Amino acid sequence: MEVPAGFLVVYLLFSCFVASSYGVYFSSLNETIIVTATPTQGQVLKAGEDQITVTWRFNQTYRAGTDSAYKTVKVKLCYAPISQKDRSWRKTVDLLKKDKTCPHKIVARPDTASNNSFTWSIERDIPSGVYFVRAFAFNAQDEQVAYGQTTNAHKSTNLFEIQAITGRHVSLDIASICFSAFSIVSLAGFFYMEKRKAKASQQK
Amino acid sequence: MEVSQNSDRKFTLPVDSEHKATEFRLFSVATPHMRAFHLSWISFFSCFVSTFAAPPLLPIIRDNLNLTATDIGNAGIAAVSGAVFARVAMGTACDLFGPRLASSSLILLTAPAVFLSSIANSPAAFLMVRFFTGFSLATFVSTQFWMSSMFSPNVVGTANGLSGGWGNLGGGATQLIMPLVYSLIHTNIGSTKFTAWRIAFFIPALFQALSAYAIFFLGQDMPDGNYVRLEKSGEKHKDSFSQVFYHAITNYRGWILALTYGYCFGVELTIDNIIAQYFYDRFDVNLHTAGIIAASFGLANLFSRPGGGILSDLVGKRYGMRGRLWTLWVVQMIGGLLCLLLGKIGSLSGSVAVMLVFSVFVQAACGLTFGVVPFISRRSLGVISGMTGGGGNVGAVLTQVIFFRGSRYSTEEGISLMGVMIMCCTLLILLIYFPQWGGLFCGPRKGVTEEDYYLSEWTDAEKEQGFHKMSMKFSENSRRERGKKGASVPITSDKETPPTMV
Repeated sequence: MEVPAGFLVVYLLFSCFVASSYGVYFSSLNETIIVTATPTQGQVLKAGEDQITVTWRFNQTYRAGTDSAYKTVKVKLCYAPISQKDRSWRKTVDLLKKDKTCPHKIVARPDTASNNSFTWSIERDIPSGVYFVRAFAFNAQDEQVAYGQTTNAHKSTNLFEIQAITGRHVSLDIASICFSAFSIVSLAGFFYMEKRKAKASQQK
Repeated sequence: MEVSQNSDRKFTLPVDSEHKATEFRLFSVATPHMRAFHLSWISFFSCFVSTFAAPPLLPIIRDNLNLTATDIGNAGIAAVSGAVFARVAMGTACDLFGPRLASSSLILLTAPAVFLSSIANSPAAFLMVRFFTGFSLATFVSTQFWMSSMFSPNVVGTANGLSGGWGNLGGGATQLIMPLVYSLIHTNIGSTKFTAWRIAFFIPALFQALSAYAIFFLGQDMPDGNYVRLEKSGEKHKDSFSQVFYHAITNYRGWILALTYGYCFGVELTIDNIIAQYFYDRFDVNLHTAGIIAASFGLANLFSRPGGGILSDLVGKRYGMRGRLWTLWVVQMIGGLLCLLLGKIGSLSGSVAVMLVFSVFVQAACGLTFGVVPFISRRSLGVISGMTGGGGNVGAVLTQVIFFRGSRYSTEEGISLMGVMIMCCTLLILLIYFPQWGGLFCGPRKGVTEEDYYLSEWTDAEKEQGFHKMSMKFSENSRRERGKKGASVPITSDKETPPTMV
């Protein structure tokens, strides 16, 4: 019984070493989808309040039939390079399953030939930053086969900004300040009590 | 040295001539000794929870406050740098005002920083709240001082190790507590992410404030009472700050231990800050798993640091101070070696295994250090404890700035280099020498007694006024540090040339 267990351990260790490097690479995809979104260059939108309308369609200049493999289209909100700077948790990696550029999902739809559009209310947990929109086409095996985005290849044009909610509320602010003040006041109270006790013991 | 029976009848535990407990009973809450123990470790635990409450919630906080990796790194360094001077100041405050007032004051003064974390709105504000919250880690010094005031030399290592270790546990526990509190608020109460983390911070803040109240109302400074009452009634002399400070900074042993503590405790703090990211980035585990691994490093403190303290007392019983020093040197060296190894291992399970063994050794070294600290000085116990504790934080700041900032070294290179630095700094322990007990390589000087060493901290004028009585009693009680062999040596003091505290 020890031999199979030993093999299992070795296999597990080995599998830790073997980097799972298979998967779809972004550089292998063609930009066959045309994506447009309502925000204009430099526009500032508010999370939890504003909306983005995204439209996408297959680029007819590509060979017809290329899009027969597309089963679903997932549209995502992606960070522009300036919002990725000094933030390795938003890093762009060519291997798509490790890529962290586009963490926020806007919508997922089955692929249809006609013009697709969706109006998305920007969710309240979207952080502040500079963004663009990208759509991925997935095949039946749920692998990316094509993409489209609202910006250019260098991700430098047509970027818009989203301002996040602060998450603060007046009640929280008040509670925070009150508790802090109470801590200090009670400390002063302690010193006063100590002084009185000391005087009392001196008189004894 | 055995105590007369009638004076200790009012204490639940057996005590020595200073009324310090000679036994340690973990599951008792008897006043004043065991109650002081439980108050000190719980309050120190709460300070650790508050100081390291942000790291597990960083994935949410960094999006809310738009933090960069540099902002996060700087806040992490700020969190441990405030305590460098706060610990020395706390040591002084303990010597002058007593651990009860000193620690409850500090805890209450830093509680607002934790409350105000909830309304932080920018990277600068985040840095400020982490900086000021970090001051609360100075309660470590009051913890050790309080234990050294309540427990006799034969159990002081155990008491110090348990209170320090169970306090440090907070650094690990918070990696589990904060995400749990956050998800309760976010999922069950339904607050948005960016509000839920803010509400979550109220929990450690309230815990911290409540522990300060408990110390104030339930604790007392010394077995016989509080400083204020003892000073006013004349039983305890109110010492002068300049003298206390002078005798601490002129004792080279305090400086050596401050540096070596920077390379066991400082390393522990550094690892608390970087280890989750290390496992996340190098081995591609998810954030939740990385948090659990990070927590397990800190949770080893449950037994490893106390183990170091208990080991120090066990070895001290047999081999005296020389045994304590040797054990400290060996354990910390092995810790350094394991740290070097940790950076070189490329597999996840191997890394976790080495990290766990490394955590035991490095935390045991912390416990062993504070088995030696109570003996360096009696008059300036607080400042020496503060210097050593502060040195721990200096080590954390230095290590993070040199090895874990920017992209000069990869994290694994940084970890291995940190291991090398641990081993180099630990060599300094070879230089520690107590004239009455010896050092690593040399035996004690003939004819030198514990009284010579501890009473040299007082001038003749002060001795005439009887201020040195505490040190006299302590000298008697520390005779055990000669070990089993030295206990039979006659206790005569060399009156012609009293050695100074070199």
